[in-house]
Parts: sequence; C-alpha cells; structure tokens
Amino acid sequence: MGLLARALEMNGIAATLTSWRDGVTRLMKPPRATFTQLARGASLGAPGDKAQQRRVLEATLALLAKDAPVEPVTLDES
Amino acid sequence: MEIVENLDRWRADFEKGWLALYESTGEKDWSIYNRPRNREWPGGPGVDLSQSRLLLISTAGSYLKTTQEPFDDVTAYGDYSIRTYPCSTSFDDLDYSHGHYDYAAVQADPEVLVPLDHLRALTTEGRIGELTENLVSLNGYMPEVDRLVAETVPLVLETARKERAHAALLVPA
Repeated sequence: MGLLARALEMNGIAATLTSWRDGVTRLMKPPRATFTQLARGASLGAPGDKAQQRRVLEATLALLAKDAPVEPVTLDES
Repeated sequence: MEIVENLDRWRADFEKGWLALYESTGEKDWSIYNRPRNREWPGGPGVDLSQSRLLLISTAGSYLKTTQEPFDDVTAYGDYSIRTYPCSTSFDDLDYSHGHYDYAAVQADPEVLVPLDHLRALTTEGRIGELTENLVSLNGYMPEVDRLVAETVPLVLETARKERAHAALLVPA
C-alpha cells in the first residue's frame, strides 16, 4: 500500500494510510502514514471496538490536512 | 520521482533471490525477499477533507460475492487485479479472497478493514466532504512489485480519476 500511496500522491491525489507493518511500509516512503501495533487482518482496530477503529481512522485521515511528506505517526494502539 | 526507485535492479534481485528459490523448490522464503526501498518521499499539498471527495482503497480482498469473481488467493505470484463496488454496499453482500491473513476479524466486523460505516458517519458529521461512489478493493498479495507498478497502479489511478477523488485512504490487511 505504501507504493500505491506514492503513486496516488504523485498523480495529484492526497493519500494517507495506516499500517501495522511499520518497518516494511516505512521503507517504501509513503506520503502520509500512521503505524500501530494492531493485528494483521484488523488494521483499524479490534472487531467490535468501534472507539478504537474510529481513533485510528481519524488520526490517519487527519494527516490529509498536511502537505506531504509527513513524518509517519506512531499510534499507541494494539 | 518514481513509485519504486531502481525498479530494474529490484526485478533482477527478485529473480535471483526469492523467485529463483520458489521456482526451483516451491519454497516461499520471505527472509530473502527484497523489500522495495525508496530514498525520496513524495510531496504534495494537503487537502481540506471536509471539502474533499475521499476514495477508500482496501486490501481486504473483498468482492461482491454474487456478481464478481474472487481474487486468486492461491497463486504464489500474486493477484494484481482490482474490484470496485459501491460504497453503499451492504456487508452482507461481501466475501473475502486474500489467502494471507485470517478472515476471522473481518468476518466478525468488516469495519476493521472496510470502514464504510465509520466513513459514512464522518461524512454525515461534515468531517468528510463526500465519499466516492465506488471504492477500490485489492487482494494485497503482490510480491512482484514491477507488476504492481505496471498493472495495478494504472487501474487504481484510472478509477480514482473516474471517481473524481481528491484524496485516498488506504487500508492494508
């Protein structure tokens, strides 16, 4: 997804992502990203935990207001 | 600025390493997989999301189970195709074909990877201008990054333009 985010940004579409794979995703240099310690297959939060999902989503979307590149933001979500 | 810097070199290293081992033994050894690395960060202006049209891109491998073909979740070479479906789709109409993550969470609560209810709520609250009519769904297992660049990126960009997206949210599985 880091590469797709780059492609979108390079084509005039502001892109943001969240990932539980900090190391791998950071190497690709995405324009905007949040990183968590969430589980594979549940990137926005635990099933049924609407509050956590919303926190991760809002933090990731908030980066769209900033000009890229944005230093990746690590969220305390696991 | 390139999507993947030194892509030709990446391909050569991939063929000599991960691909050569897989094709000779059938073993997928991710410890020797050459992850794409870039040196430069792409730049671009931020947007006022409350005035923007947002495109959701998810690699849950979701698809419309009655009208769309599932992704190929068996191949070792990856599936580089995309599916699009309306953001108004009921979760009951979705199934998932990825093959590289446990579906238990997304089947229990699709919002963990396909956050349509959350995004609709944020739109109603005025935090998001509007959602595009359709979202983009991918399988996400794409080890051949040159194929991602040559095949998937044009499909996603074409969809983004057709949907008149100003911004994109990418949610990997």
